[in-house]
Amino acid sequence: MTQRQFRSDYSGAFGFLAYSVLGFVFLLAIGVFIYGRILATEKIVKDKAILAAQSQIDPLVVEGFVRLRDRLTSGQTLLESHVAFSGLFSTLEKIQPTTVRFTSLHISFESTNVPRMEGTGVAKSFNALAAASEAFATDGRIRNAIFSKITVSDEDNSVSFVLSATIDPRLIAFTP
Amino acid sequence: MNSRVLPILAFFLAIAILFAYVRPTWNGPIAKTKASIESSEKTLTAAREYTEKQNQLASARNAIDPANLDRLEIFLPDSVNNVGLILDINALAARSGLSLSNIDIVNAPAAGSTVDAAGGGIGPVANANPVSSVDLSLSAVGTYPALQAFLKGLEKSARLLDVREILVKGSNTGVYTYQMTVRLYWLR
Repeated sequence: MTQRQFRSDYSGAFGFLAYSVLGFVFLLAIGVFIYGRILATEKIVKDKAILAAQSQIDPLVVEGFVRLRDRLTSGQTLLESHVAFSGLFSTLEKIQPTTVRFTSLHISFESTNVPRMEGTGVAKSFNALAAASEAFATDGRIRNAIFSKITVSDEDNSVSFVLSATIDPRLIAFTP
Repeated sequence: MNSRVLPILAFFLAIAILFAYVRPTWNGPIAKTKASIESSEKTLTAAREYTEKQNQLASARNAIDPANLDRLEIFLPDSVNNVGLILDINALAARSGLSLSNIDIVNAPAAGSTVDAAGGGIGPVANANPVSSVDLSLSAVGTYPALQAFLKGLEKSARLLDVREILVKGSNTGVYTYQMTVRLYWLR
């Protein structure tokens, strides 16, 4: 009698547990289904929002901004290295003695982008040439000035020469 | 009998629903959709940031005087337009009292080539590559003041021009011959 009552109680408890688990799983399945639907709807809304955002992006506007940026930054860089040889000629006019003149002058850039000048000229006398050499050394912006092939004329004592020098980049820098 | 079988069936049905629907759906479509939504949110955030940045840039650009923007476009144009430039240089030479005898392209760049920093180019810009350049050789005859006026005109021209090389050959008449190399730039 006691054993049968125990079995009956056991079956009842197991039944209660099994139906509870089924109910819980059933509710869970409904929840998962509804959650899936909510996510799918949310995804559609997001996709539409992305399409709307994409349609507002104009590639031409973007390109316009990029080119303006490039123009500003490149222009700034180019302007900083803008060359003004007129400054060099003005300086030569000021520091070179009037008794010395160039017969040819070649101003260019070395492969390292350092400006340099090479020229041939005539000085009235050796002293005039020395004064020119001294003037370049004192000024300091025409550097490494080397006078070579110095020849004194027998006729009028004038001195012909070849000059080779590097130029301080600040001397040919453009100033607005 | 039923009191024993039905709870067992209910238990197995619960397990079947759990493993046949709930778990695969959670780990499959729902996980994918969640990841996709997360990615979409990142995209939308980026789009909002882009819009903000675009508005900022538009404000900054609108703050620049349109005349200055036009000058900037002349300073560094979109194309080489060397023919128009040669006309301008010729006019400048005439105003300065210099007589141009020959104008030619020294180093025509290949399509898509950029400024060469090693060849006396423009350094930092060469890395960014938005600028191309070409050298023009000019031959001219004139007095020294005419050369000075011409050089100052080139240096201050609205379009950026760099004299890269100049060769002056003297004479006893006061009229010199000049050989110049002028570099011009444009935005690729």
